[in-house]
Amino acid sequence: MALRFEVLGRFNRARAAQLTLPHFACQTPLFMPVGTQGTIKGLTTDQLEEIGCQIILGNTYHLALRPTSELIDELGGLHKFMNWPRALLTDSGGFQMVSLLHLADITEKGVTFQSPVDGKPMLLTPEESIQIQNRIGADIIMALDDVVRTTITGPRIEEAMYRTLRWVDRCIAAHKRPHEQNLFGIVQGGLDPVLRDICVRGLVDRNLPGYAIGGLAGGEDKDSFWRVVAQCTAALPEDKPRYVMGVGYPLDIVVCSALGADMYDCVYPTRTARFGTALVPEGVLKLKHNAMVNDTRPIDPTCACMVCKNYTRAYIHCLVTKDAMGSQLLSYHNLYYMLQLSRNLHSSIVEGRFPEFVCDFLQKMFPKGDVPEWVCNAMDVAGIDISSCCSS
Amino acid sequence: MALRFEVLGRFNRARAAQLTLPHFACQTPLFMPVGTQGTIKGLTTDQLEEIGCQIILGNTYHLALRPTSELIDELGGLHKFMNWPRALLTDSGGFQMVSLLHLADITEKGVTFQSPVDGKPMLLTPEESIQIQNRIGADIIMALDDVVRTTITGPRIEEAMYRTLRWVDRSHKRPHEQNLFGIVQGGLDPVLRDICVRGLVDRNLPGYAIGGLAGGEDKDSFWRVVAQCTAALPEDKPRYVMGVGYPLDIVVCSALGADMYDCVYPTRTARFGTALVPEGVLKLKHNAMVNDTRPIDPTCACMVCKNYTRAYIHCLVTKDAMGSQLLSYHNLYYMLQFPKGDVPEWVCNAMDVAGIDISSCCSS
Repeated sequence: MALRFEVLGRFNRARAAQLTLPHFACQTPLFMPVGTQGTIKGLTTDQLEEIGCQIILGNTYHLALRPTSELIDELGGLHKFMNWPRALLTDSGGFQMVSLLHLADITEKGVTFQSPVDGKPMLLTPEESIQIQNRIGADIIMALDDVVRTTITGPRIEEAMYRTLRWVDRCIAAHKRPHEQNLFGIVQGGLDPVLRDICVRGLVDRNLPGYAIGGLAGGEDKDSFWRVVAQCTAALPEDKPRYVMGVGYPLDIVVCSALGADMYDCVYPTRTARFGTALVPEGVLKLKHNAMVNDTRPIDPTCACMVCKNYTRAYIHCLVTKDAMGSQLLSYHNLYYMLQLSRNLHSSIVEGRFPEFVCDFLQKMFPKGDVPEWVCNAMDVAGIDISSCCSS
Repeated sequence: MALRFEVLGRFNRARAAQLTLPHFACQTPLFMPVGTQGTIKGLTTDQLEEIGCQIILGNTYHLALRPTSELIDELGGLHKFMNWPRALLTDSGGFQMVSLLHLADITEKGVTFQSPVDGKPMLLTPEESIQIQNRIGADIIMALDDVVRTTITGPRIEEAMYRTLRWVDRSHKRPHEQNLFGIVQGGLDPVLRDICVRGLVDRNLPGYAIGGLAGGEDKDSFWRVVAQCTAALPEDKPRYVMGVGYPLDIVVCSALGADMYDCVYPTRTARFGTALVPEGVLKLKHNAMVNDTRPIDPTCACMVCKNYTRAYIHCLVTKDAMGSQLLSYHNLYYMLQFPKGDVPEWVCNAMDVAGIDISSCCSS
């Protein structure tokens, strides 16, 4: 174990904590920008520090392809290579291989796939995934899991859940740097509460430093999504971090935090920036829209980021889809927005005003009171009264 | 006139000066990054201030197309629109129209071209160019000139030079807020260049540019034209060599008495993975960079050289826009920090005329 997790405040299931990792002491709930291949597209590491980024996710699959984990290791690890002094997390590589490679095939040994470099067959085993992640050197590493999409049904889900447990044992055995890197296990089991329960208990038995809730954020209906998160957070240990992989939208992060999750990652803020969309309290703002052409307001008048303090919607409108600068400025703002959301979640819980924060957040996003039913149901379970925000 | 030009130091023809413009007091010799369409590709204005940028060039042609000069005016001018508190210069639009548009045609009225937006015929006159630039609001604006490439010969060059003089008279201005510079044309012909310089000097403009170069002419002809013009232009006004350029060219032109330069080269070459270094250039795409843990330039104090290795940037270039961004940052820092073997003969000849003894640098 190479982390400390100290809860500083609570509201029912929600908690604000300090997660102390080898490279940085983070405050949770927190959002991790995705720096796929050793960079967050469009932002220098100075700028990432400026906006308060605490931990970045690197994709093992992409890094193993370019520039390779051996080179990263030779050059002193990913922190040094990409000039990021704070915390890093790497995923196992499994998800990309399944989602990106059509010829991927999963067996007990590992994931067989066709190398995108030269087409040769390759095998990613739990051992190999951990070795690669050991070379990369992130503060948190993820066990290779057998991940299936929640939109499929049948015996494959159960097979994958049990295999995930068997693979985690192989990951633990292969992990060479437990005093410097924290191996998190990932809860699988699709949308089936029985399977999820077995998986949680199996992982908890292995006494890992932290746990992720995987296999979600893949197209399942929102009602199923929150229920799986709620079930897992209820069953996972209180004193260890809980990471909902691939989440996501600000609303989802608020709901999951209310239900007791601590960590999130998603490409959404930066990817949507590259399509000209900004994140704002009301939801989204599409900078490509003609209405922006002479709008001299900042993206978000309530936002304190460098972009909102210095640039107008009109200017960014002029750039989006025509100049990479548009994507850059929107990425900067969107990440600031997500990180500010994280800070607000943490501080509102610590300061005892979490329900007020949640209501305020929902009121801005749903001014007519049309809060989606799944959110109402989730907040009910979380014990947060949002009746003031709902019209029905 | 809306500028002050005060020479603070000299060495023979070279001079260091303070050029005080409405938005910023600049120190010359200076290099202007090209912010074509209201942005320097890859850098925020915060970063531009960080690296010491004093003045940025905007291309009138591109801005008139997007987002249009009327909109810029409506929104308070280009400084406000792009959030640049320091100085701006706009060119006349003429060069792009001639270099970018195949169907451009130049007559006494102005430049006729086919609009790239809808294909309709359009006319850019000297008056229209200045009106557009008045709306954009830069500290320095350029007269529309009849520019021809130095690689062509014949009567067209003379025609263009005289037309440039006639067009400068047709340029109206906002003289108390914007400085109209005239542009010396005349190809590589010393006689034509001389007529043009004298014609522009007679018009008592706030500053002068040397145009029509940086277009493929041989280096020996290039420096001689610059030398001739700087010798004949007034001492007490800024001299701007348009489209220059390579660090070596800037050092030579400064030795010959020029003050201002602009070029897309540093940022454009960054987008091809090339960094500017004291030794010349460093190609980050090269395989030798793959595990090179040194910064681009160990003597450089910029944010990129202080934080990133060649190996890291090699990994990004041509695959991630971040590579271009970091190289653009470094290259502009490099250009803004200067001035300060195998030396080519044209440089030796130029330095001879400039009265600068570079014998210690030359092996021959």
